[in-house]
Amino acid sequence: MRSWSDALRNLTQFLPVVALAACMAPATTVTTGDPAQATQSGMNQVLRGRQLVIQHGCGDCHGGATNPAAQGDGPFPGNSQWLAGRPTDTLPVGGLVAFPRNLTADEETGIGRYSERQIFNALRYGLRPRATPDVEITSDVPGQGNHPAAPNYLSPAMPWLEFRHSSDEDLRAIAAYLKRAVRPFSKRIPDSGAPPDFWASEVSVAKVGSHISPAFPTSHEELHAPARRDQILHGRRLVIEYGCSGCHGGGDPGREGWLAGLRGQPPTVLAPYVIEFPIGPFKTRPRNLTPDNTTGMGRFSERQVFNALRFGLRPGETPDVEITSQIPGQGNHPANPKYLAPPMPWPAWRNMPDADLWAIATYLKHGLKPVVNRVEDSEGPPDFWASTYTAENFGPYPPPPFPTANERVP
Amino acid sequence: MSHWMQLITTFAGARVRDRCFLAVLLPAVLLVPATAPAQHHHGTASPPERRAPASPATQRPSPTGKAVVTKGGLATPPAFVNFSRTAGTVEVRLVAAPASLTLRPGTSTDVYAYNGSSPGPTLEVKEGDRVIVHFRNDLPVETTVHWHGLHIPFDQDGSPFHPVAPGGEHTYEFTLRPGSAGTYWYHPHPHHRTGYQVGMGLYGAIIVRAPDDPLPATLQERVLLLSDNRFAADGALDFPDPGTHAGRVDAENGREGDVIFVSGSVLPTLGIRSGEVQRWRVINASAARVYRLALEGHTLLHVGTDGGLFEHPVEVDEIVLGNGERAEFLVRGTAKPGTSAKFQTLPYNRYIPQTRPGDWDKARDLLTLQYASAAPVQPIALPSRLRAIPALDTSAVTARRVMALSQHLINGLSMDMGRVDVSAKLGATEIWEVENLVGMDHPFHLHGFQFQLLDRNGVPEKQRKWKDTVNVPKHQTARFIVRFDNYPGKWMFHCHILDHEDAGMMGVLEVK
Repeated sequence: MRSWSDALRNLTQFLPVVALAACMAPATTVTTGDPAQATQSGMNQVLRGRQLVIQHGCGDCHGGATNPAAQGDGPFPGNSQWLAGRPTDTLPVGGLVAFPRNLTADEETGIGRYSERQIFNALRYGLRPRATPDVEITSDVPGQGNHPAAPNYLSPAMPWLEFRHSSDEDLRAIAAYLKRAVRPFSKRIPDSGAPPDFWASEVSVAKVGSHISPAFPTSHEELHAPARRDQILHGRRLVIEYGCSGCHGGGDPGREGWLAGLRGQPPTVLAPYVIEFPIGPFKTRPRNLTPDNTTGMGRFSERQVFNALRFGLRPGETPDVEITSQIPGQGNHPANPKYLAPPMPWPAWRNMPDADLWAIATYLKHGLKPVVNRVEDSEGPPDFWASTYTAENFGPYPPPPFPTANERVP
Repeated sequence: MSHWMQLITTFAGARVRDRCFLAVLLPAVLLVPATAPAQHHHGTASPPERRAPASPATQRPSPTGKAVVTKGGLATPPAFVNFSRTAGTVEVRLVAAPASLTLRPGTSTDVYAYNGSSPGPTLEVKEGDRVIVHFRNDLPVETTVHWHGLHIPFDQDGSPFHPVAPGGEHTYEFTLRPGSAGTYWYHPHPHHRTGYQVGMGLYGAIIVRAPDDPLPATLQERVLLLSDNRFAADGALDFPDPGTHAGRVDAENGREGDVIFVSGSVLPTLGIRSGEVQRWRVINASAARVYRLALEGHTLLHVGTDGGLFEHPVEVDEIVLGNGERAEFLVRGTAKPGTSAKFQTLPYNRYIPQTRPGDWDKARDLLTLQYASAAPVQPIALPSRLRAIPALDTSAVTARRVMALSQHLINGLSMDMGRVDVSAKLGATEIWEVENLVGMDHPFHLHGFQFQLLDRNGVPEKQRKWKDTVNVPKHQTARFIVRFDNYPGKWMFHCHILDHEDAGMMGVLEVK
């Protein structure tokens, strides 16, 4: 068991690192909305933000996993204080070390002293709140549209390169929830290391594109009947926002290898584990998500893809049936479930609404061109992680209702 | 290659042999390897002479019967007694019952046995024979007798659709069609319990002989039933609980044993003379172990598979034999008198990483081939062509179906006895594409009908052959063509890793 605990620690460390590798699009200058409006939003906005924080898995690094009621200082995200940072969780980024920060509204150790606009700018542009003026920013390009000429970016593994594709409303909702509805919790987190340019050379628009994704379809996409275009576009947007390609390949829909799985490309500073993830003694290899029949998802039904995202059940080992329970042995949930290998973040994604998960499945099955790419099997324990994916480690499903003891009504 | 080429000459004049004579002779031939000591024959064995039908009571085997173990040589199961007086009819009795056998020297083990023996008696018949098997189930559980690979009527197939209750009887009756000569086997097939019952000892060989067998009748023939098992400290067979670590590993890999039996013997020694050619029929009766067969310092002349002989022999270094598959090959005594060679199963990685055994990469000895000290015998002529296998007509294909195999599932579904997965018309020709989507081998078995393998991963097979089981290695695809002749009914298709089959990796083909 000890090694699996280590494996889990690895999981939570590495996931966001690779997620950062995604999203490379042509440079485009865009205008965002007015972040100040976020402060006027009401309860619905806060609840929307809470939902997004849970289903994006912010707590997988920043503490609490997907459980807003989580407290403590344990080794798993599931038993550490909700969003209060994890100084014990060092993320090796190249030769540097990053620490997940305290996201509670504590003035001194958390984000209490930053405005919601600064948090929005962090999520959309990756700009560190403490080193970036509290102004509206309208460009991805340093020196343009209030984007600082010498920007100071968030450290990898913070996956802002994925989150930035979210709508203004969603990013403002996240900021609103963090600022207004999470109780301040004092917990000092060491500064993350960074190169002298604060990653500016790694995240230039030339390398990672802007937050506007290329239009559908790119040369790697196509619309197959019977899927509807609106379903496809909805699923595609989620696939981009949630950074599937950070592990599964391609960076953005216009690039070679989009979602085609492990390709053996050389690791980079931003994505040091794209080849395979060491999870304790095991190796996880991101699968080919394109609809190729033998090497991808072609032979699996949308329902099997849905069951993978909602219940973490491997399509190749789980019957193509409707599953109605999280509990093994009940409601068609296999008695001996075989779960996706870490770091696949299904414990966070299972919290997405049915329609979102179905849309992702539809996009993967009907919105992509099949790519032949055989990915070697991931390794893992003989129980396929069944004893690891517990509520204690990953939080309950569904999450506890708002507000928990860690939260406050604005 | 060269020494085989010297041997393979056109073998003119196919022989028509006296089948009755051979039926008497053959068990004796099997019993006496050239250099083995005299055989001692116990239990219910008796020469297969014709005699009046006996009452069931007198045929009942002793529940404490013992498998015949011959020191150093192969154990030989008791023979079936053919009590039919009619030429061309083979009528035998078969009883499945608990027994206590000495599977390993010095320990007795509670098993299930056919006619008091494990493996059960070898059923030797010939093309055209009418076969009548009076079966009685003296087990405490329901069972069936499945005649693996035989093209016989649905209600005689011994599939899960026709269980025989404890204490119940069933008479299996079928006629062996022309062209069906080959090596087959029989075993139980109750739903969810096949692996357990086969593991408990229920399996036996079937040999169907042809009137015009192209191979010389003088070749010594050996039937090697490969099986493996696992034992607890007290000698009992070890079947782990499903929830345990071992149970989980078995559920994934299928239950493998650390003791490998060759027709009931462990590491037997077989005799051969320099220059001699022997005909070996090997059956993989293991629940999950795949054998990669090789004979040290020798090549094998592969002459046949599930549904009988190839069109022509192929010299190979090794033969991979999936679960349920058979191989027929010739062993030539190319080594010097007095030497010996190990017949082995080489490492074969059929496993997913999660449950791959730590010792998977070790070769295992199956038996020792011991050369007599006598002077070499003169090589004999072998045919370069064995028979013609007519190709099934691809232009007649009316359906192409995909069978997507994943762990414990076929096309994403688990077995449901009330569901028909595939419907086909009687007489229809179809192409089935068996795609293995996962990182573990799955041997795919179709009941009732022999098929012709077309290609693997798009690479055409080098020659036509009749198969009923095809091992589809991890992430590979195999295509076969099949014609659903003669017999309507509901036919099973399944993974022949028995734990997978029992877990639901099976479907139903209805031919009507």
